[in-house]
Amino acid sequence: MKARSLMVPIQSFLRPDDGLKEFVEAIRNARGCEETHGVRSLPVIDASGNLVGVLSMKDILKAAYPPYLYETDLSLFTWDGMLESMTKRILDKKVSDLMTRTVVSVKEDHPLMECVDHMLKFQISTIPVIDHDGKFIGMLYESDLFFAVTNTLLGAGS
Amino acid sequence: MSPQTAFWVATGIFILAYVLIVSEKIHKTIIALTGAALMIVLGIVTQEEALHSVELGVDWNVIFLLFSMMVIINLMKPSGIFEYIAIRSAKFAKGKPFMIMAVFSVVTAVLSALLDNVTTVLLIAPVTLLICDALDLDVVPYLIAEALASNIGGTATLIGDPPNIMIASKAGLSFMAFLTNLGPVVIVIMIAFVITIKLIFGKRLVVKEELRERIMAMDEREAIKDPLLVKKSLFVLGLTMTGFVMHGVLHMEPATIALFGAAMLLLISGIKEPHHVLAEVEWSTLFFFIGLFIVIGGVVKVGLIGWMSVKMLQLTQGNMFETSMVLMWFSAFASAFIDNIPYVATMNPLIIDMAKQLWPDAQGVALLQHPELMPVWWSLALGACLGGNGTPIGASANVIVVGMSEKMGRPITFLRFMLYGMPIMIGSVVIATIYVWLRYYVLHF
Repeated sequence: MKARSLMVPIQSFLRPDDGLKEFVEAIRNARGCEETHGVRSLPVIDASGNLVGVLSMKDILKAAYPPYLYETDLSLFTWDGMLESMTKRILDKKVSDLMTRTVVSVKEDHPLMECVDHMLKFQISTIPVIDHDGKFIGMLYESDLFFAVTNTLLGAGS
Repeated sequence: MSPQTAFWVATGIFILAYVLIVSEKIHKTIIALTGAALMIVLGIVTQEEALHSVELGVDWNVIFLLFSMMVIINLMKPSGIFEYIAIRSAKFAKGKPFMIMAVFSVVTAVLSALLDNVTTVLLIAPVTLLICDALDLDVVPYLIAEALASNIGGTATLIGDPPNIMIASKAGLSFMAFLTNLGPVVIVIMIAFVITIKLIFGKRLVVKEELRERIMAMDEREAIKDPLLVKKSLFVLGLTMTGFVMHGVLHMEPATIALFGAAMLLLISGIKEPHHVLAEVEWSTLFFFIGLFIVIGGVVKVGLIGWMSVKMLQLTQGNMFETSMVLMWFSAFASAFIDNIPYVATMNPLIIDMAKQLWPDAQGVALLQHPELMPVWWSLALGACLGGNGTPIGASANVIVVGMSEKMGRPITFLRFMLYGMPIMIGSVVIATIYVWLRYYVLHF
């Protein structure tokens, strides 16, 4: 199987200039089909259709999370209300400020093992799929890969 | 290669390396190593000289001292002792904004005197960011104050700042000599520094009463991850410091003492695999020193440094007071804009060469520690260390703080840093000038 066969063609996406509100609305709607895809991130596409980044729920939490906690054990000393007040700081940020720019992608006719490789190495659960001209055509989800693997293991249909 | 050609080739490599280091287009370690390789490949210095000559080669005393201190700190870090000290300090200051700034500055200065400045700032800054968020304070003044305090504190001891380590090794000066000659003036400068930040920030920093509760509610004991490691680390650090204080009497180089401390802590800390401790050593910094020593060795051998020392003597006409003063102020402004490590590495042989011309009959310690030369060494140390405060690029601690603040979305511009740093640098060098003049040229003790 190739990446294309499991990919979900572009449904919802964001523009770089969108705000947090648009992201929250779009991801809430995109979760209508949560059971199959478990959408936690959305592609960000510029006016000419190029993929410029991916914005995930984790990116939002990361933006609210102070960098100094990363390399220390200071989380023991955080306080009630800290997350809320830190989150307020990102209120007026745009999608382009918050999204992950270095986006890993796979070509549509590349094998699934490459997709698994990227998901594990870069700790992501969604991979954008691009065609031969480098245009973004859809997203490949960890959950679909999981079902593809388990189907092989247990026999299709079981 | 004729001596004439060798002179110009070595001088060319030296100047080009300096220009490239200042331009920051290529990483300084890569430049230093390339310069060093060229010096050897082109036959300016032999590999034997580069690696084993005391006069022309790598100063392994400096390398092993830095390496060993890095290992000790890397082993201590996971114990949580530094976070404990920082949270304890904030509580000691009762969460009052100016008191926190003053206490953190003093703690940073003391730690910088015992450890290296970059490590100290890397340990203190994260806690400062947390405390400022808890108190809803602008963190920028705190970070700048800590960087400045770290450079001031580091001036006080032999191990506090790389210029001191290099000067001590070249001139054979002891830990106690640094402490007794530079310690007193650093204390005076630190008091003046705290008064200055009080005048600038004292009234501007206000905190809501209820926010201070957040600080007082923190339990610093939770920071201690490994109480046994804390005890072992403090024991070894204490032993190492005692060793430093005694090394003159023991006839051991500081690097020997530090290496013993590092080896001992490696042994008793109970780590099974030293790989990660060694991987965290700043190899880039160490190899920057190694490359630099070889490049400087090249220009010493061809006589460039000797020629420069003749020029310097002509300028000051052998008047040692004038030499001290010119050197201190020149070093301060030079260190504010260029890395003080290559600067001091160049000045050390220059001063020794100057001493040889002034006292041709003296040799060894009698030459290096000639009573009239001592204030010159102290002036170089004071100028090169304190000068780092002038600009955000003057010292590694400043670079770290600026980078951290930018990561937090609070970039510190070059000018904003200079607005605080430059007056404080000039003020501190004025105090140092008065001190050197009074102590060595008026009171003579």
